[in-house]
Amino acid sequence: MANPPASLALGVSANRQLCRDHFRLTLCTEDFPAARPGQFLYLGPTVHADLGSTSSGTLGLRDSLPMPFLRRAFSIANLRRADGKCFIDVIYRVVGAGTQWMAGLRKSDQVSAVGPLGNGFGPRPENHDLWFVAGGVGFPPLMWLANSSADQANSRVFFFGASCADFVPSILSCGEDAGRASEIPGCAAVIATDDGSLGVRGTVVDVLTKYADKRKPDGPKITVYTCGPEVMMRAVVEFCSSRSLECYACLERAMACGFGTCQSCVVPVADELDGQGWRYALCCTEGPVFEASRIIWNHP
Amino acid sequence: MVTQNIESIDLSVRLGSLRLANPLMTASGTSGYGPELTSFIDLRKNLGAFVTKSVTVEPRKGNPPPRTVETSGGMLNAIGLANVGLERFVAEKTPFFEELNIPVIVNVAGHSIDEYVTVCCRLDSIDCVNGLELNVSCPNVSDGLEFGTDPVRLGELVATVRREVSNSLLIVKLSPNVTDIVTTARAAIESGADCLSMINTLQGMAINADSRRAILANTCGGLSGPAIKPVALAMVWKVYNRVAREAKVPIIGMGGIATWRDAVEFHLAGATALAVGTTLFVDPEAPAKILGGLRDYLDCNGISSVSELIGQVETR
Repeated sequence: MANPPASLALGVSANRQLCRDHFRLTLCTEDFPAARPGQFLYLGPTVHADLGSTSSGTLGLRDSLPMPFLRRAFSIANLRRADGKCFIDVIYRVVGAGTQWMAGLRKSDQVSAVGPLGNGFGPRPENHDLWFVAGGVGFPPLMWLANSSADQANSRVFFFGASCADFVPSILSCGEDAGRASEIPGCAAVIATDDGSLGVRGTVVDVLTKYADKRKPDGPKITVYTCGPEVMMRAVVEFCSSRSLECYACLERAMACGFGTCQSCVVPVADELDGQGWRYALCCTEGPVFEASRIIWNHP
Repeated sequence: MVTQNIESIDLSVRLGSLRLANPLMTASGTSGYGPELTSFIDLRKNLGAFVTKSVTVEPRKGNPPPRTVETSGGMLNAIGLANVGLERFVAEKTPFFEELNIPVIVNVAGHSIDEYVTVCCRLDSIDCVNGLELNVSCPNVSDGLEFGTDPVRLGELVATVRREVSNSLLIVKLSPNVTDIVTTARAAIESGADCLSMINTLQGMAINADSRRAILANTCGGLSGPAIKPVALAMVWKVYNRVAREAKVPIIGMGGIATWRDAVEFHLAGATALAVGTTLFVDPEAPAKILGGLRDYLDCNGISSVSELIGQVETR
């Protein structure tokens, strides 16, 4: 890990809905360690941080246990530093108790955060075409990655798949124009929806295949980055393998700690040094980004 | 408010031959091998002792995922004793302990008495290992029953290890999954345990109503976190009053400790030292906060030494 993570209280500077069930939480702090795309934050109510304190007059808190008990992990969607402050975006979909708590956060509320955690994306290969293939709420880390790859890439395409237009965040399209992502300037965008309500009808792998078929054989090399539902990532990885494309997958696993102690978030990966040829890697510290060919998807 | 020089408050406690600068320890399996926590907390300043995750003779990959699931006020885990194995532990993990300057206790697991003896003998000879904590919640390979749930079997394990261990504090970590924990506590003490740690996780299960499937790959797991604190307090109180106090065997209390209040309550129930476990996943800085709160509490109540709290709960 490049930078040691910190445990911090972050202020909420905005919490805005992007599309159905999806929100962007912007957090603000004066000091945040250097971070890179693919790294994540572990968020929880500040009540956690106050539980042990006597000096702040919060003695009564211990009888009201915070819900949810564990923190929640979110990829960083953007990080910008300006005027001595650091603004960090996370984008989430409301699916349960943790994200419901987040949806209720208002400007100037505080959240407790641990981060940056995990091993992010490595340096992008120079002069490759970079394809970012996202599905559902898997797009945030790829959005940051795409935005920070403008200089290295030969060209960039952002593929995004969702079930229908309702679940396409406004920042990944420009209204009806599904060929541009308003918050990834200079990057081509291709949207696929299962019902065809926005962009191409079909899956993101369908459009990926069409794109690849149209390319001239002597074009620049392509590197693929993917994050989204597991079934989609597996299809993307399979596609990349069939076309001999380098591919990196950003995985999500349930975790209790985020920094390597709880051992919850194991991912089976190929390892020739292991007697059985595989081992469990921790998604939180060794990942969440893995070279896709190392992941054993069909592990019993 | 009574005021005294807060620096003069004595937080130190004694566990047999070991003196701890403060009563807080890590609970096995919640702090890895140590370095994982150092980004967040000065272990030396905030812990009285460090307890490692379980070590077995052979390396173990552990159970398939899902290994943990959140529950009301806590979580279930079925990690399956994933660890690097004895030899890699000694070669790769103990150098960190040499620099730590606080007592280090290694949690030991096995599936036969021989396995426990092998690990304990090897570690007992290592200077920077000060204590061995027997995880007796492992099933015995010969019949699948846990060592810790039967007093005769537990006594045999502890007595055998006791004969082989001469340098390290011998701690037995009691399982709460028994009819009467006083019986197993007594068996451990009579077989030579220097110290008891209690409680290990309570067996539990989580089911997804939508999919109608067990959530953990292992089906059942160990429940930990604030949800189990009342169970742990009752067990510490019973064991302290019925067997440990008289035998002068100290108890390391654990089970859902998240705040300084929890720490005080465990001391009052009879615990000499305390371990913070699942809370470290949520807040790796918790020991510093708990320690600060404990110090303030003693100061506010005019108590000069934390030892004065041990076992002092008034029953109605």
